[in-house]
Amino acid sequence: MARYAMVLDTRRCVGCHSCTVACKVHNDLPVDMIYNPVTTVGPTGVFPHVHMVHIPLLCMHCDNPPCVDACPTFASQRRDDGIVFVDENKCVGCKACVMACPYGARVSNHAKGTVQKCDFCMDRVDVGKEPHCVKTCHQRARTFGDLDDKDSEVYKLVYGKHTVRLLAELNTDPYVFYIYELEART
Amino acid sequence: MKHKDEGWGWMLSLDFFFVGMGSGMLIIGGLVDLFIGEGRTSVLGNFLGPVLMAIGPAFLTLELGKPTQAWRVFMNPKAILTVGAWVMSMAIGIGFMYASFGIEMLPWSYGFGFVRKLLAIACVVFGVVSGIYPGMLLGRHKARPFWNGPGIISLFFLSSLVTGVAGHSLCGLIMAAPTLSDVLRNLPLLIEGLLGLQLLLWGGYIWVKRSGGTEAEATATKRWISGDLSMAFKFGVILCGTLLPMVLVLMPGAIFQGIGAGLVVLGGLIMRMLVVRSGEDRTWLPGEQKYRSRLPGGDEAFLKKAWNIK
Repeated sequence: MARYAMVLDTRRCVGCHSCTVACKVHNDLPVDMIYNPVTTVGPTGVFPHVHMVHIPLLCMHCDNPPCVDACPTFASQRRDDGIVFVDENKCVGCKACVMACPYGARVSNHAKGTVQKCDFCMDRVDVGKEPHCVKTCHQRARTFGDLDDKDSEVYKLVYGKHTVRLLAELNTDPYVFYIYELEART
Repeated sequence: MKHKDEGWGWMLSLDFFFVGMGSGMLIIGGLVDLFIGEGRTSVLGNFLGPVLMAIGPAFLTLELGKPTQAWRVFMNPKAILTVGAWVMSMAIGIGFMYASFGIEMLPWSYGFGFVRKLLAIACVVFGVVSGIYPGMLLGRHKARPFWNGPGIISLFFLSSLVTGVAGHSLCGLIMAAPTLSDVLRNLPLLIEGLLGLQLLLWGGYIWVKRSGGTEAEATATKRWISGDLSMAFKFGVILCGTLLPMVLVLMPGAIFQGIGAGLVVLGGLIMRMLVVRSGEDRTWLPGEQKYRSRLPGGDEAFLKKAWNIK
């Protein structure tokens, strides 16, 4: 069984928001819903050493997902391959998962009355394709793959580079890894 | 279109308030029955407890995105929301059964003392669990800095108790207990003690969160001290909900005690409103706060014009 993960290389990300748009378009999201925003830290420093980092955010597909534990209806589930998703038929929109998620990765669809989130485009993944955000990224800042496959690029990046995980201290064990520019430089 | 305010709203605050006050009334009713004697609390108060506990989940149901499928909340025994739903349902049923012993025309109101005592015990047990449940629900949220930790449990439980006592006190003024005793006269003293304890606990909680916790906790607590929640907290919870009632309930005369008890209830409601609202604060990811602050809230005039949003 695969264990899907994503590596985001902030050295490559230019903050163009193409991934955000691709996700919204292909998932047919309403105008007020965003699964993967791209935040910007900076600019910091003094010329000529000015620095700015763009950080794409999305569901971290945690190994220990607090959203799944919080869901009273079994709508939030985690597949064996690690993908965390919402079964909209079971979701009643109680927002317990929204509040439980430390990453702000879940959004309410007010029209449907449910909560939705990034599911790594699991329909595409199931037929061997990459998520839309990965396919769209022209800077190749996003790498998606099977972390259990030692030959996969994602495996090499996670174990070969110095990657970090967001809010790792919360012990949610996220499976989205970041190559952070400041970390990589040192 | 609404980008901001992603989270629980004011109806959940009402749920927490009604469930808290109802559970407090169940606990007080049960304890008085067990340790002081039968018929020492108002029948109105005994009924009001489970009624309030039923009103609370009604607000929670309205808060849901799909209210008609609220039954699904009972499905996952591992989720604390599900456990709470089951416990509250049982507490409501037990509360009504216990309260029915106070209606003399019902055949079981005489001669079933053992069953009544069992129900009184169940009222205390389920009342305590229902009283601490909202605090447990909130305290488990790792990335909500103001809620996180066990301290919020004691604050919610104490508020449940004091609003429960105030509820019984008010009901006793409206409809006196069948066997009038010192209990009703001593309720103001109990309110006084619980309010004093609540004041100390809130002071300690704010101080610890402000100075002894993480940076996110300190930032979240600042809202209570000098931010947008501070006025409501200082005047609504501390002054009107705690200090004024501490004076009023000790004054002779039912009218003062009634106003004091009413203010206690109001303070409990405001406290829950503020606590739920403070859940907006999260341990933010790098750059996230700035990003979200720039998202439209939905009420901007240009949005209505651009997307024809009503």
